[in-house]
Amino acid sequence: MALEKHRNILDYTLQALLRRKFKNIGIILVFTFVIFMLSSILFLSYSLRQEAHLILQDSPEIVVQKMRAGRHELIPINLEKDIRKIPGVSSTEPRYWGYYYDSGAKANYTILGIGTAILKNNRLLNGRMPLPHEKNVAAIGRGIADVRIIKKDIGSTLYLQAADGRWMNFNIIGIFESDSEIITSDLIIISEDDFKILNNMPEGMATDLIVHVSNETEIPTVAKKVKEQFPDSRPILRDEIIRTYDAVFGWRSGLIITLFTGALIAFIILAWDKATGLSAEEKQEIGILKAIGWETSDVLEMKFWEGLVISLTSFISGLILAYVHIFFLGASLFAPALKGWSVIYPDFKLTPFIDFYQIATLTAITIVPYIASTIIPSWKASITDPDTVMRG
Amino acid sequence: MILHPGVISLIIGSGIVLLLVMFASALGIKITRGWDIKSSSEEQLSFERKTYLISTLVQYALSFEILSIFLFIYTAEDIHTLLVGAMCATGSLNANSFGFPTLYVKVVAFFVSAAWIAINHLDNKAQDYPLIKIKYRLLIAVLAILIIEFILQLQYFLRINPNVITSCCGVMFSEKGKGLVSSLTAAPILPAEILFYSLLGIMIANGIAVHKTQKKSFTYLFSIFSFIFFIASVIAIISFISLYFYQLPTHHCPFDILQKEYYYAGYPLYAALFTGSFFGMMIGIIEPFKKIASMTPIILQAQRRWALYAIIGLIVFALIASAPMILLPFKLY
Amino acid sequence: MIRTENVTKYFNRGNPDEVIAINDVSIEIKKGDFTVLKGPSGSGKTTLLSLIGCMSRPTSGKVIVENRDVSRLPERFMTEVRRNTFGFIFQQFHLIKGITVSDNVMLPLYPTGIKPSKLRKRAEEILINLGMGSRKDFPVQKLSGGEQQRTAIARALINNPDIILADEPTAHLDTHLSEEFLSIMRNLQQEGKTIVVATHDPLVYEKDCVNLIVEMRDGMVKDIIKKN
Ligand SMILES: Nc1ncnc2c1ncn2[C@@H]1O[C@H](COP(=O)(O)OP(=O)(O)OP(=O)(O)O)[C@@H](O)[C@H]1O
Ligand SMILES: [Mg+2]
Repeated sequence: MALEKHRNILDYTLQALLRRKFKNIGIILVFTFVIFMLSSILFLSYSLRQEAHLILQDSPEIVVQKMRAGRHELIPINLEKDIRKIPGVSSTEPRYWGYYYDSGAKANYTILGIGTAILKNNRLLNGRMPLPHEKNVAAIGRGIADVRIIKKDIGSTLYLQAADGRWMNFNIIGIFESDSEIITSDLIIISEDDFKILNNMPEGMATDLIVHVSNETEIPTVAKKVKEQFPDSRPILRDEIIRTYDAVFGWRSGLIITLFTGALIAFIILAWDKATGLSAEEKQEIGILKAIGWETSDVLEMKFWEGLVISLTSFISGLILAYVHIFFLGASLFAPALKGWSVIYPDFKLTPFIDFYQIATLTAITIVPYIASTIIPSWKASITDPDTVMRG
Repeated sequence: MILHPGVISLIIGSGIVLLLVMFASALGIKITRGWDIKSSSEEQLSFERKTYLISTLVQYALSFEILSIFLFIYTAEDIHTLLVGAMCATGSLNANSFGFPTLYVKVVAFFVSAAWIAINHLDNKAQDYPLIKIKYRLLIAVLAILIIEFILQLQYFLRINPNVITSCCGVMFSEKGKGLVSSLTAAPILPAEILFYSLLGIMIANGIAVHKTQKKSFTYLFSIFSFIFFIASVIAIISFISLYFYQLPTHHCPFDILQKEYYYAGYPLYAALFTGSFFGMMIGIIEPFKKIASMTPIILQAQRRWALYAIIGLIVFALIASAPMILLPFKLY
Repeated sequence: MIRTENVTKYFNRGNPDEVIAINDVSIEIKKGDFTVLKGPSGSGKTTLLSLIGCMSRPTSGKVIVENRDVSRLPERFMTEVRRNTFGFIFQQFHLIKGITVSDNVMLPLYPTGIKPSKLRKRAEEILINLGMGSRKDFPVQKLSGGEQQRTAIARALINNPDIILADEPTAHLDTHLSEEFLSIMRNLQQEGKTIVVATHDPLVYEKDCVNLIVEMRDGMVKDIIKKN
């Protein structure tokens, strides 16, 4: 019985909305746009963060770098022996990596020289990884393969200029096509030996050392010991990196949303205005409804449904558009603002990541203000005196 | 302060709701001042019409409060990665002394605004607005609670310092720790379970009595029991119900059951508990209104019906809480 | 059935544009009466009708409908009385444009929670009785004046009211249609319904079926004529 009542009023509201579709189309479009922008920001920052988490999950617990004058510098490999003696350390490994600026493509690549360490979590769609001592072969990210003037594919050759000015050529034997392109798209992997030649690295040095600790809870203690034994080193904890990433993502999206509140306020004023400006026809309709037996609360309920239908329509369309924008179109509208560090992003594909929480957050910043702005105008409409319809 | 989408939405939402209720309270004060049911002046008519606006405003505020409790827990969950030592929502809430108080005040705000709506609902059934003064005095209380909530929440987010190590549920709800919560979790499980289910039995018996007779002694007792049962259930969730959900003998977190990993079981669990306890408590709260002639039949009917809602809520709660104990292989003893 | 006791209605009380629309009116209408409120323009007919029909509250005095004092009821109870007891027919019909005849007829009972299918059946029965069966799915704006009025009558009957109130129902109708309207009213009277019509159309108040004429002037009752 009570349920039927609400259904009847909802039915009538839908009918009335359809009768006046053009009146509401404007507000729905603007609302959709607002939701589209906000949810795009949220989707993008959350999936970037999710990607980072995904990658960092398998990364080493501690990375030890050597510092001089506050700057990161090459680390002697023989430190490994001492670090391995610290209780709790299960293994250590040197890493060889750096950046390479490609003046032709005006892009920065990340170059990794692999020894025994293999990026386990990266699947190669095509080809294979270079072996530790294999000469003149490389595996590259999809981003590099596409950005180079001549499209590179397996079997073609990549030229890189070494530190002494000589050109080295690398046979491409693999191309990354991973779930998380953000890390692999600008990556070049060559063998450890080639890396040393390319960068003219002295023997016995590495870029940094990674330290595996088997017991989670011992990580801070191990890091502290490393720092004590080698005061010129900097141990970086995985949790700290995650924290920094999260802070940056949260902060950036938060900042953009804050900047966006201006637009939100403008929208609310529009919604208020729209809700206040009842047409004479609509006013009369409400008067008739009240005169023939509708109660103030019934009209209020009708207005509530109206607000809900408008906001849900906009919400869902905004959400779908944002989803397509972020996960199918590569966030083309504002990727540069959020990604920042990466130069290569033509084929940036993110793994869809969306949950309850994001929806609840979006509801709180869009639907709540909208509904709030329509309460008073709705009430004003609902208290129309039924007596007025008796007089024209 | 951390600029995080969840934080922003909570602050914006709470701010809007606070404004709405402030406006409603101001209207309420104006109405109580000039109210004269016998008058047929235009002013009285406009007052009566404003009561609709006030109840609409409070209804919207309540809906947001419900959303806001979950949003708050989720935000705490989401920002735990920003805080050293925090591994879940508990850790984030412990980041400063405002976290848990904010959550408690949110729960209180939920109950008080729901109570307001329930009383308003009863008042609307009588022809002479018998509760109008009480109603708008209670509205001031709602406003006060919302102001406290807003300030606490703001303080909590402003004072979050990512570099201060917080203690997480592992520590807070561990049996080795000090303090009230730890002693609860350390309590022997079998007696706690017996206590919990006995209390439930008493509640149901009392609820049936209220449903049948609506005697004063029963209704007051039921109210008190409902309050005790609410607290006891939260403790029970921390102390043993959660263990069966997580299938771990040491994981006591009351928030993780809201996660996908546990099939969102926490939502119906808490919804049933909140509904059951709410109607239970309301039964005694409305008892004094029975004295008002025009309210007597309305109150009697409400008590009969609400007793039923309370019993159903509590039974559903107990069923969900007991399901993993019965259905899953995990056993504590 | 309906009684007013010293009913007075002011508009804009206390303001310079204060109007006393109804001044100390006491009348009694019995069950089954066909009553006409008669008087020149501005004499307070519409206002009295709206007071009787629980659309507005008197400034002083009592309005008693079916032994219930409705003059001080909160709005939600006034609506309830209105919905259960009265059927209204307005001068301008006041149908909602853009929806069909039967939807218009069903409208008053939407908030009562009757199943739409049941409601529709009832609406169609009433429409058939009024000879509107073939028009039930017509959009109302395409109807003729007489058909519009019959739709309005059907809408007034959907809640099976005891009392039917009509304000200047024949003002927009020609003689033929007015006669038709009156014969519908007479049939309803014979079914036992009470009818109150505000009008200054002699065609209406000179009819035989009218058994109570309340003549009004400047918000006051000038004369009450009972016929049998
Ligand atoms: N809302 C209002 N505010 C102020 N004055 C009003 C209002 N409604 C009606 N009046 C006044 O009350 C008096 C009675 O009006 P009412 O509409 O009842 O007359 P009536 O007999 O129905 O006239 P008519 O035959 O023209 O319909 C008129 O003087 C009118 O101007
Ligand atoms: Mg008139």
